[in-house]
Amino acid sequence: MEADQNARLFRLPFKFPSFAGLRRISVYLSGVLYAVGFWLFLDAVIYSKHANASDVHVTFVDWIPFLCSTFGMLIVNSIEKNTLLQGALSGGGMSSFAGSDLDSSMAWQARVVLFFGFALLAGGLSGSIVVLIIKFLAKNYNTYPTVGMGVNNVLGNFFILMSCVLLWIAQNMEDEYSYSLTL
Amino acid sequence: MEFKVSPLTKIISLSGFLALGFLLVILSCALFHNYYPLFDILIFLLAPIPNTLFSKSGSDNANFMSDTPSNVQDTGNFLTGVFVTSGIALPVVFYHCQLIGALSCVMSMIGGLIIYTSIVVFSWFFHSSWDQEEDTLFG
Repeated sequence: MEADQNARLFRLPFKFPSFAGLRRISVYLSGVLYAVGFWLFLDAVIYSKHANASDVHVTFVDWIPFLCSTFGMLIVNSIEKNTLLQGALSGGGMSSFAGSDLDSSMAWQARVVLFFGFALLAGGLSGSIVVLIIKFLAKNYNTYPTVGMGVNNVLGNFFILMSCVLLWIAQNMEDEYSYSLTL
Repeated sequence: MEFKVSPLTKIISLSGFLALGFLLVILSCALFHNYYPLFDILIFLLAPIPNTLFSKSGSDNANFMSDTPSNVQDTGNFLTGVFVTSGIALPVVFYHCQLIGALSCVMSMIGGLIIYTSIVVFSWFFHSSWDQEEDTLFG
């Protein structure tokens, strides 16, 4: 009883989640954000097909930013994080082993692929903004139900980017935690 | 738990809840002669699958190495979040696109959530009893 009260600093009525619980919650939240982005974009597509009163429609050009964001998220989150960490540890030192040379080349490849992933994500977001400006705003489609298709596209790509960032943070948090445990 | 509920009562009440969920979703379609909300049932039936597929190996791994969940379990959690949010967002999107009415949207959302909750509570009730059976079997 006393140890329990000493362990808690504040007398809050709820307990803070443990570390693994926090990680799991942030992964769930990342999935929720991805689904929100996906459905925001799909809302624009279905709206254009079924309830559209104007003469501007969603075509394949509007799909390209979404596809870029999704591919970028797949690439970024399928990279093995330990490869990057090893590269950061062994790439800085000037060791002359044959093995560390292999390690640094692997880390270099991982960095290039990671750069492509983040470039795809950023390209998705900026591409959706470009579509919004060129296709809707520059042609004076300013009233809301029509311009909403472009705005939904931007918001959807933004939510997908946020989801990817949250997933990345959650997984890197775990790496540091287990690293300090093994130390 | 102070009071003991027999497993038969649990099964009967849960199946009642499940049937209520299906009734709500099917009613939301049939009252308006518009069968788009049936997709909601499909999504909410798919939603418990990733956690059941990925959590078994994940828990084995966690027992074996450490307490932190593995990447496999992360995939399951991520997909669960995606499916549950999709099930809630689908009627809202259909309502916004004027495919279904407001009442149909609310009914199919509540019905889908009832279906998902009853499936999760079902697996939660009987997962612990299976663990106990395993303990009595092998311990």
